[in-house]
Amino acid sequence: MTASPLRVAAALLALALAACAGPARQRVEGWSGVGSGETVVVGRIELVPQLRKGEQKLENLNSGSFENVVFLMADDKNRVLQSEPKAADLGGRIEATLEQTFFVRSSDQPFYILGGMIWLEIGRGMNKAYFPGGLRVPLKTGDKAVYVGTVRYYRDEFWNFSKVAIVDDYDRANAEYRKKFGTKIPLRKALLIPVK
Amino acid sequence: MKNRIWLVFALLALALSAGCASRGHERDINDPTNSLVFGFVDMDDAPTKISYASLQQVAPPTDAPYWGLAVRKGLFYNAYLPPGSYQLSKFGGSGFWAGENVYNFPRQGNQTAMRIDKPGIYFLGSFKYKTEKSGMFEPGKFSMQKVAKPTEADLLKRILDEGSGIKDSAWRERIQARLKQIK
Repeated sequence: MTASPLRVAAALLALALAACAGPARQRVEGWSGVGSGETVVVGRIELVPQLRKGEQKLENLNSGSFENVVFLMADDKNRVLQSEPKAADLGGRIEATLEQTFFVRSSDQPFYILGGMIWLEIGRGMNKAYFPGGLRVPLKTGDKAVYVGTVRYYRDEFWNFSKVAIVDDYDRANAEYRKKFGTKIPLRKALLIPVK
Repeated sequence: MKNRIWLVFALLALALSAGCASRGHERDINDPTNSLVFGFVDMDDAPTKISYASLQQVAPPTDAPYWGLAVRKGLFYNAYLPPGSYQLSKFGGSGFWAGENVYNFPRQGNQTAMRIDKPGIYFLGSFKYKTEKSGMFEPGKFSMQKVAKPTEADLLKRILDEGSGIKDSAWRERIQARLKQIK
């Protein structure tokens, strides 16, 4: 809960946090954006029920780029985010548009999804919701393209998450992958692994 | 004479703002599907008192999700709510030194989250504002600590006595019945 004497200041602080964060894992549309020793990570984030119209209120300049986007915070080492994520936690994130397959470039080393975050309000107030993490992205040295699955988050109207399911939707993802990247390099399937 | 005209305007504005605070969404106070939602917050340790408050309707989906609450010395309530899911959205108020302050509640993990499945009287609780530690470049943080007093009965009596139009509405009987029930 936040108390703010200046609403604008609060909103600017929110945007500053995003601006100060290190870069996200870059989205790629073809091999030209992928270097040697890098892997294309393919996956998808879904919400059940889906985000409704009006559920996000993003009223500040440039905040529209956060629409339908979940920030998946990632790190080489698994750890539990104890409090509100810091700017440093957002470096190397995956910016996943809900209900759409993402294609991002990454090193060919395994990493962990620590959690997710979505902006619900930027403007008159600022409000976010956090998604559970604890998922291992099982990349292997030499991987060129890996499908990690669809993460389906089940929630109620108050943003309490009741279940997280890793769904294998390889055929659809592979069809999209082939359109963008061709058929020369196959898309390896290696679904996300919940960390115990 | 000039002064009296201003007085009339001021009273009119006050009456309108008081009406807007607890009504909204053009519902009749005697609509049998109405629910009364109320609570209390002790803002003694906050930068300001509160002069307005709102609930957010999070289900079913609506284009007008915010419901104003009537606010009177820490007591807040709305007697016009249709069935749905709600939670406190924000408080606000101003003070001479502190200026205008807005107290935002989170959309996720909000301790005031509540589902109204059938019309009735719903007590959110009595709370005390507590300032929490925050960083230099962060907005101020606070928590709401549950307190035992005032009780549900104390607040219902206040709503009955002080609530605008409550005594002359169907709420009178419903509140009295509830008071007997919790005695």
